[in-house]
Amino acid sequence: MPPPSSLKQEFLKKWMMGLHICSSSKKNMSILERKKAIKLSADIALASARNGTTCWSQAIIVNASQDDQDKILVQHVLGRESERLMKKGSVLPLTSNKRIRSRKILRRSCGSIRRRARKTIATSPPKVVAISIAKKLIRKRTQLLKRLVPGGKFIMDEISLIEETLDYIISLQAQVDVMRSLANAS
Amino acid sequence: MSSRRSSQSGVSRISDDQIIELVSKLRQLLPEIRNRRSDKVSASKVLQETCNYIRNLHKEVDDLSERLSQLLSTIDADSAEAAIIRSLIM
Repeated sequence: MPPPSSLKQEFLKKWMMGLHICSSSKKNMSILERKKAIKLSADIALASARNGTTCWSQAIIVNASQDDQDKILVQHVLGRESERLMKKGSVLPLTSNKRIRSRKILRRSCGSIRRRARKTIATSPPKVVAISIAKKLIRKRTQLLKRLVPGGKFIMDEISLIEETLDYIISLQAQVDVMRSLANAS
Repeated sequence: MSSRRSSQSGVSRISDDQIIELVSKLRQLLPEIRNRRSDKVSASKVLQETCNYIRNLHKEVDDLSERLSQLLSTIDADSAEAAIIRSLIM
């Protein structure tokens, strides 16, 4: 399913707004500076099209707000919504420190569990081995996916992660389509 | 078989059907797998293709930003906005 044209239009509008703000605030940018401005405007525009309804869009906005200069751009593009969306807690589920600590303890004990698992793998039938290897692969790839999707590290369950990924991919496709047609047109 | 799997994992109460449905939706978005048209694609393969696809999309955005930056820099700064608007109308 190609990205809906309404998404593309929304993205284009916000992106142009961001670009205009960037170029008006800083004349004579170097190519690298301009590229960063283009990319930043594009990402913020993409995130604002979702208006805080998804985790990844929230993460982009929060990350951009960390930098003082970028924050101004965020405020302008998002307008009235910017105050609400820049607050970290509104959509992102907070990872409490307890969870992180318990995960570290878990990881330390994993070494011994893995040794035990290896023993059981050596002695179990090949079908069980295949399933456990598949599970490990899925877990490894899920971790990778979490790193690729912005805000992925805050997503705890698999289903939300996949839903976020779906929405993120559609948005990225819209972004690429619009940018490509602009690049080809000029 | 799926009930046995979920009772074994115990901790995750996530329904397997939900995951299967989401994974199939992901599959439809990925260009390569969609063309292959086989129903036997495993979840881990879909995840791998997803990660590769997202990486490719990121790289494309980066390249396009680079290209646009070079294009815009060759146009006079004041008329950059006019040029953008012009190309949008075309």
